[in-house]
Parts: sequence; C-alpha cells; structure tokens
Amino acid sequence: MSNTSAGQGALLGDAVSPRGKLRPRSSAASKRWQTVVVTGLVFCALVSVFTTIGIILMLVVESWGFFSDDKIEIWKFLTGTKWTVGQTQGELSYGIWPLLSGTLRITGIAMMLALPMGLVSAIYLSEYASKRTRSLLKPTLEILAGIPTVVLGFFAVKFITPYMLEPLGDFKTFNATSAGIAVGILCIPLVASLAEDALRAVPNRLREGAYGLGANRLEVTLKVVVPAALSGIISAFLLALARAIGETMVVALAAGSTPTLTLDPRMPSQTMTGFIVETFKSESVVPGTLSYFSIYAVAAVLFLSTFGITLVGQIIRMRYREVYD
Amino acid sequence: MKDSVAQPRKHRSVARRKLFNNSFSVICLLVSSLAIVVLATLLVAIFSTGGNWLSFEMLSGSHRENNPEGSGIGQAILGSLVICSICGLVALPIGVGTAIFLEEFKPKGRLLRIFHGLVQLNINNLAGVPSIVYGILGLTAFVYMFGAFSPIRVNDQPDHEIGATYFYQTKTLGGQYVRFPAVPLIQPVIKIKQGRNASKINGDKFKLNVVSASTEKSKYANQVNETVLLGTEAKLSSRNGNQVYEAKTIGGEPFNFPAEATYSQFAKIIEPITVSNSDGDTFSLNVLSKSEPIPTDPTILAQSVFADSPDPNKRSSASIFRENSLFHLHLPFSKSVLSAALTLALVILPIVIIASQEAIRGVPQTLREAAFGMGATRWQVVRSAVLPSATPGIMTGAILAMSRAIGEAAPLLAVMGGVLGTTNHLSSLMDKTPVLPVTIFKWAGDENQGFEHLAAAAIIVLLAFLLLMNSLAIFIRYRYEKKLS
Repeated sequence: MSNTSAGQGALLGDAVSPRGKLRPRSSAASKRWQTVVVTGLVFCALVSVFTTIGIILMLVVESWGFFSDDKIEIWKFLTGTKWTVGQTQGELSYGIWPLLSGTLRITGIAMMLALPMGLVSAIYLSEYASKRTRSLLKPTLEILAGIPTVVLGFFAVKFITPYMLEPLGDFKTFNATSAGIAVGILCIPLVASLAEDALRAVPNRLREGAYGLGANRLEVTLKVVVPAALSGIISAFLLALARAIGETMVVALAAGSTPTLTLDPRMPSQTMTGFIVETFKSESVVPGTLSYFSIYAVAAVLFLSTFGITLVGQIIRMRYREVYD
Repeated sequence: MKDSVAQPRKHRSVARRKLFNNSFSVICLLVSSLAIVVLATLLVAIFSTGGNWLSFEMLSGSHRENNPEGSGIGQAILGSLVICSICGLVALPIGVGTAIFLEEFKPKGRLLRIFHGLVQLNINNLAGVPSIVYGILGLTAFVYMFGAFSPIRVNDQPDHEIGATYFYQTKTLGGQYVRFPAVPLIQPVIKIKQGRNASKINGDKFKLNVVSASTEKSKYANQVNETVLLGTEAKLSSRNGNQVYEAKTIGGEPFNFPAEATYSQFAKIIEPITVSNSDGDTFSLNVLSKSEPIPTDPTILAQSVFADSPDPNKRSSASIFRENSLFHLHLPFSKSVLSAALTLALVILPIVIIASQEAIRGVPQTLREAAFGMGATRWQVVRSAVLPSATPGIMTGAILAMSRAIGEAAPLLAVMGGVLGTTNHLSSLMDKTPVLPVTIFKWAGDENQGFEHLAAAAIIVLLAFLLLMNSLAIFIRYRYEKKLS
C-alpha cells in the first residue's frame, strides 16, 4: 500500500502547477518503480472487487444458515403471506410477501411522484429554462439531493403525516404514503439530474432540424429530444427505482414496524429495509439465532432486486444509447 | 398531454399548438419550482421545531434518558467527525488509486482487459447497492470477522489484542484505590469460550465445536463428541510433560488442548506488593492478617488491605481492569469506531472512484502527450501531469463523498447499534460512540415529545456541517478550476 500513499503525496502536493518534482532516475529504475505503482493500483481496484465478492458470499452463506434451519422451508419464505420473525410471541411465520409488498407500495408511491416530476424538471432545465432560472433550480436540486435521508424521514413522520395527510383522511401515525412521498422527494433530484444529462447529450442538430420543419418547442422536446434520449431516461428511472427500494432511514422512521399485506396506503407498512433496521435497533441480534439469519435472507432479496435493476439500467444505457458522433 | 401531440398526421391549428406549448412551459416551471417549495418547507419546519433548542449546553452535552432538556450532542458530533475522518483516510487513497488504474492504465492484454471491464462494471453496480447492505457487510466482515475469532464479550479479555494494559485494582481499608500490573498466568481452571484445535485421549486431532445452551440439539446431534457447551470448565493437567487443559464433550468423551497463559478475573493479595495509587505514588501495600489489630493512623490505613479473608466484605481480592491506549486493537473489531469507519469507507468508495474518474477524464490529452514527449513513463505522466491538474476535481468529489458519509445512518446503526451515549470518553478505535445521524434517528422515534425538538436541533447542526463541506467544495472548484484554464 506504500505505492498508494506515494500517489496520495503527489495528489496533495503541488495542486495546480503541472511542474512535478521529478527526481532524476534511470529509465530502468523508473520502469521498475512503475511496476510497483501499478501493482499497488491493482490492489486498490481489487478492494471494490472483493467488496462485491464479500457481499455475495456473505449473503449466500448466512442465508443458507436461515434456510438450513429445520423450521424454515424456502417455498414458504417465497410465497408466505405472514411475517412474524423477531416477534417474541405467537406462531413463527416467515413469508417475505408482507415485507416485499411494503417495499413495493412505498416504492410505487415514490415513483408516481419522482418519475414525472423528475422528468419534467429535467426537460425544463435542459430545454426551457433561462440561464438565471437554471442557476437557481440546479443548486436547489443539488441541496435536496444532499439532504441526509434520516432528515427526510424525520420530516415525513413529524410534518408530512400530521400536517399534510391526517387532515385528508384516516391515516395512521406511521403509514406508507408519507414514507412514499419522502422517498419520492429524495428521488426527484436523482431522476432530474440523470435525465437532464441524457437530454443534454442529444446534439443540437436534431433540435435545429425539427425547428426547421416548423415544430415549436414542445413538439421538438416531446417528439425529437425525449425519444432520442429515451435510453438515458429509462436508465435514470431504473436507478431511481433501485434507490427507492434500498432506501432505509425514511421508511424506518415513517412507515412503521408492522409488516402488512394490504393495498391501503394509509396503513403502516414495514419494508425489507425497515425490518433490517428494526432488528438492529433492538440490539437483540445474536449471531446464530434465527432472527439474525433472517436479516441475511431479507437482505439477499433486497440485494438481488436492486442489483438486478441497476444492471438492467446499465445494459440499457450502454446498448441502446443513440450515438450521434 | 403527450396523447395530443402523438398523432402528427392530424392537422392542428397553430393557435392550439401555441396554447399547448405555452401551457407546457408553465407546467414545467410550476413542477420544477416545487423542488424549491419542498426544500423551503423542510428547512422552515425543522428550524421552527428545533431552532430554540440550540444552545451551548445542547452542543456539548450527552444523551440523558427521559431528560431532553439536559441532553446534548457533544459526543455525537465528536463521534461523527472521528468516524468520517478515518473513513476519508481509508476511502480516498483506495478510491483515487482505483480511478487512476481505470483511467490511466488501460491494459493491453486480453485477460487484463476483461478484469478492467469487470472492475468498471462492478463499481457502477456497487454505487447502486443500498447502504444498509454495506452495513450488514460491515457487521459480518468487521464486527464478527466471519466468526473466525472468538466474539468479544463485555469484561472479558479478547484473544487477539494489542495496545491494552491490564492491571488489578483494589480498595484499601482507607478507601483509596490502588493498582498493580497484571501478569498473565496459566490458570488452573478456565472456561471454554471458542472453538479450537483439540486432541482426544488417543491423540486424534479434531476441531472443537462450541455451542451456546440455546442452540438446538439437532444442530450438533451427529457430532456430540466434538462439541462442548459455551463456558464448560477445563482443568489444567500435565500430559507427556506438556501442560494441557482437559474437559469432556457433551457426548462425555474426554479431550485436551494446550494451555496458554491468560489473566484471571481476580487476584488474591497475600503478601506485600508494590502498588500505585491514582496520584501516581508507588508504595508497598501493607497486608494485615486477620488477627492483627486495624491500624488507626489514616495514612497507614490508606495503604493497608486485609489478606484474603473469609469475610467477603473485607476480602482484599483485586479485580482486573483494562486501560486502552490510542492504538488499542483487537480481533474481531467488534462494534467499534473502526468497524463503523471502514464500513462507511466501503459505502463512499464507489462515489470517490466515479468522481475521481471524471476529474481525471477532464484533464486535457495535450498535457499527457507533452509529458510523454519529454520521455516520462506512464506513472510519471500521471504523477506530475495528470494528478496535479485533476486534484481540484478529485477534492471536490471527495468532499461531496464525505458529506454523504456524515449523513449516513443505516450502516452505522447496523455496525454499532443504536448507541446514544457512552459513559467513558472516546479513547481508542475499539470504543463505541454515538454519531449524529443515529442520534437523530433514535430521538425522532422517542416517545418523549421533547426529543422531537432536540432531534430537529441536531438536524440543524448536521445541515450546518453539510453546508460547510459543500461550500468548501464549491470554493475549491471555483478557485482552482479558474487557475487551470
């Protein structure tokens, strides 16, 4: 690792001047030194590879600890409609569906908010906004994107629920809607920024061509620019979806800790991430117990869904990208 | 709306097309400004809830159960800063190194090219992994280290540790606390607390399995002769001239394993020994036998103990204590600052890598070519031409990654648990500490209404930190990017 610290030294050293401080060295020595450095860099790159391997290995091994338990059948885990793991009394049920449906409900609400709003903001920023509006809107979105999720969770449970939702109807203190709205808020900047990048990557020739045919701005945007940037927009949507599924602190604060299998958005709805946090919060996780292993089984489902979605998003972006140059 | 324009062949009046166009731009503006409204509402809501609760006492204090007025976030601020600094120290070099590898050392060999492509794909995917999954990884890899070492227990000496000094402490008859250094000894009886290599009477080696009393019998039913219950006592004995501990498995089969020196929980004081008190004075302890009269001089009394007495109230047995140096380390890391920082480093690593890659990509190719033209090797080009001009971009990305790290709650909750306050100060990397985001989370969920205001006040502090870091990033970007071009 000494090589990386050498790299770091150069990095922190003369920050602006391209005049480095090269010691005179024979070319053979320079080549040897380069080999050492490259080896160090490969080790750096290996850290991220091992992180992935570590995640997958851990999820497989420890989930095996869950499924190899005599009380657990994998079929019931995948199809069951009741989840009572971690509860001290009552019969043990371990169907993932209440948690999965909780995640889907909240993600659904969040996407209904974030996708249209994010896309419209992106269109506005890329096609309509004047330089001045842009210089106001863009930093706002960046600040919104930087707000820690635990803050948004606090906002959801202390403000969205009591002041926005409770006047509207019979919402429970912890409910899917307020969590969904807060998750949506944190996805808007993500969609807006990624979709805007995609829209801006569309070359001006296309726009000018359409204008030349007599189209107005709306027609140019909706019939030329958006279709041309579609792969980028869809991959932005998918990344937002993955982000919403994996969102933890908002749902842990605002969605409650009751796993429910319902379509009613006013009810509490524990998600997969919510269950994991609830288990950690109680500090009763002892390695080797069923509720410890169940964390890994749930996390495996969570990881598979987000990893799959991110991968599809990447493939879409790479394969269906329209290249104009 | 999209429907109305999706049929190009239908003729539509210019006036209608204009109307659609104008109304769409108004809708766009309204929707986009909603982001500003949301941000403003959020800030107003939080400042109105917590603004009045900000005070010096609140900033310096620590959590008190059921007492929001007396609670504070001093420990949490310190904890967050320490964890984020270590996290940055770990993630930055590795992240920048990976970025340099990916951008500047694109290999020519086929196998290496595949590795290169895989690393790039892998990093993009890692950026999408939920932070709670990293938390679970941290719990498995750093806190428990895949169960490779015996777990750390409260008041128990870890098997692999450095940087801790052990001493016995006792209270003299005069009420003064004195201590003397502990020496590891081979104990006559120990409690088995971890799996290890052991041998049977006939000399067969096997891997001893340790289960807790709550483990189900069916799990070890077919290996009862290789399994013991946690805490089973093993007695010291001698076998072929070697000192070994002997015990019996659940199945009743005797086995033994080599004896190691350990600290005992208590030490008996029988004869005068040299001790030191809290002021650092050293003196010889005055040991009284049961029959001796108790001295009346307070100075002597303060330096006297009873020899091991049958009366438990007068027993002078000293119990073991640990003092951690700054570099105290043990394996596994258990729920500690170091585990938390390493976990956060994994969370921000993809962000650092992607930001650094973009900064490196932004360096004009001409700079590289000029350096190559001077006869520099590829690494020399990177070191003296690419890195210096990419530094502002890398630093900006690094600061933004750190601001992500300081607000992350989920991985810390997984790795350290919901710590709200600790009695001792943060003195080593193996300590637990409260951090800002987790404190906010716990307070927001507290039933005591006062903590709601306190959580909002803590959020204001957190947002202030974020503002500070972002301003720094903007400053660096503004200041150095101008100079370059």
